[in-house]
Amino acid sequence: MASLSLKGIQKIYPNGFHAVQDFNLEIEDKEFIIFVGPSGCGKSTTLRMVAGLEDISGGTLTIDGKVMNDVEPKDRDIAMVFQNYALYPHMTVYDNMAFGLKLRKVPKDEIDKKVREAARILDLDKLLDRKPKALSGGQRQRVAMGRAIVRNPKVFLMDEPLSNLDAKLRVQMRIEISKIHESLGATIIYVTHDQTEAMTLGTRIVVMKDGIVQQVDTPQNLYNTPCNLFVAGFIGSPQMNFLDAVVNISGNDVSLKVGDYVLKVPESKKQALIKGNYNGKTVVLGIRPEDVHDSEEFIAANPDSVVESTVKVYELLGAEVYLYFDVAGTQMTARVNSRTPLRTGDKAVFALEMDRIHLFDKETELTITN
Amino acid sequence: MEYTTQLNSAVNELQRITGIKLEVAADSIQDEERALKQLRSLCNAYKEKFNKNHFLKSLMIGSVSPVEAMEDALRLHIAPEEQRILFLLEMKGALNDTVKEILKNLFPPQTKAYLIPMTECGVAILRPVKDTESEQEIFQLAHMIVDTLNTEALTHVWAAYSGVIHHLTELAAAWQETSLALKVGKLFYSEQTVFPYNRLGIGRLIYQLPVPICEGFLKELFGNDVPDSMDEDTTATINRFLQNNLNIAETSRQLHMHRNTLIYRLDQVEKRTGLDLRRFEDAMTFKIASLVMNYLQTERNSKHE
Repeated sequence: MASLSLKGIQKIYPNGFHAVQDFNLEIEDKEFIIFVGPSGCGKSTTLRMVAGLEDISGGTLTIDGKVMNDVEPKDRDIAMVFQNYALYPHMTVYDNMAFGLKLRKVPKDEIDKKVREAARILDLDKLLDRKPKALSGGQRQRVAMGRAIVRNPKVFLMDEPLSNLDAKLRVQMRIEISKIHESLGATIIYVTHDQTEAMTLGTRIVVMKDGIVQQVDTPQNLYNTPCNLFVAGFIGSPQMNFLDAVVNISGNDVSLKVGDYVLKVPESKKQALIKGNYNGKTVVLGIRPEDVHDSEEFIAANPDSVVESTVKVYELLGAEVYLYFDVAGTQMTARVNSRTPLRTGDKAVFALEMDRIHLFDKETELTITN
Repeated sequence: MEYTTQLNSAVNELQRITGIKLEVAADSIQDEERALKQLRSLCNAYKEKFNKNHFLKSLMIGSVSPVEAMEDALRLHIAPEEQRILFLLEMKGALNDTVKEILKNLFPPQTKAYLIPMTECGVAILRPVKDTESEQEIFQLAHMIVDTLNTEALTHVWAAYSGVIHHLTELAAAWQETSLALKVGKLFYSEQTVFPYNRLGIGRLIYQLPVPICEGFLKELFGNDVPDSMDEDTTATINRFLQNNLNIAETSRQLHMHRNTLIYRLDQVEKRTGLDLRRFEDAMTFKIASLVMNYLQTERNSKHE
């Protein structure tokens, strides 16, 4: 398998569109790297530059220490699984997986060995004689992956391979892809717009926006310590709540004014505001839905972070409930236990877990406290 | 008589495609050469008469009259009246056997699609369309072709496609449409790989303008100082500003510059061009001017080639 290095990678199209700007990343052997971001953020373009399907406008790409900028895709020892793949309709599963190797004039016995090994990994052994129309969506997806596996590449490149599957199948296939990563010990670069997919699959995630890398980190770190407003809002579902808050620093006491509410800032968050001279300035307060509590015990224990509102929407998900309400003209979400007595239209009291808030500079959108 | 190897091959080829075995009388080298030429002409004539791809290609480039087209279509068992779409694929490199094999297997005979190599790096696909197939499904199909060639042939591909044609006599117009779509797409929408003819937008409008009109427009706007060569930083700033929908805060964040620096650069652009890019109308004019300049540059380059 392989390690990759992307240094200062840029993509500027002839029409002037700057798709990727100064992309830097070191990928270790066997890593499962995810590129995630909204549509048009440059993640697929970056993947295609790694594949050699797009020219690199600037910067250097190396695979295992060799510069790959001007190397043809077929000589990069990569294999791809793309979103809109097609299986050859009149060929069996076996032939579909063998086809690419036949075109490269690989000997028959070697083809047979590779196809059967890939089929075993993908649990397709009993389906080798079937044609695509006799396969389920998940089975077809596995055949598409089998076509990549038989190439025995250094790096697998996957561009939204699950996007055309329904939600339930996507969840099943995620597990399959994880298992493939384990059993092959492969280096994989995976592109998705789905943050849930990114969080569940990757060892590290690259969050992109408008062609620029926002943050590269493990799923847990991205969730707990987002470096800017975009990452904080993009990662996590339901989305993080954002409120404008005016900072008030009086001696060693720091508070945040949100509408008519004054929320006391705990010790863990104070110093960044004091050192950053934020007194009197407006910052963005971020708090995850699970850190907004409705329990009486929590509210009683945290009187300096209480807000009151009316529940606008009550959404039961089974084990938990999402409550939607307004504070200072901004909609908020609380993720609470399903035993909550609150329903739509009820007056409600919530307390914010202030030790778990995130604060962002309103102008630069960068984190203040992480 | 013992023939040369070449003459032998030509005789065998003729027998293979027509079923006719000829005896050739050639007493000298000149006779043999003449015979070889005649045999090859006979083979080509037969292929032209009975080769579907050759017929369809001729139809596309307009070298077959409508009357001949109907006769040839019937003889070749190609239904003249059927709903079809023409796809045009262009590879980054030459059209190789791998790509041809992949396409043959994506569109086996049962699909009634015709694969017609058109140029060194281009192939046309004439494919029947069902009544139930939507525009979105056709768009997906084009992406499927591109993605499959990307992953299986490991080659970069662009794809353009026409509107639905109902009769073979519309094929020449469809060919013009897809060729135009490919040119306009690669020039104005270079970040994309699939170009439907009916979604070319402002790119098609500009591409079809006569060059003198484009030059006149730029002169009217900028006088003699057409800004086709701004420094890299200014160009990057302008492109990023337009990409961000004229949002100063977001642009300065992305370019890691103070908003005042960005405003200064935009002021410099205004001094040079007379256009304040912070105003939507001026930004739109500048964007159109950029597209026109891009187009003229491409035209100049293609004349030099």
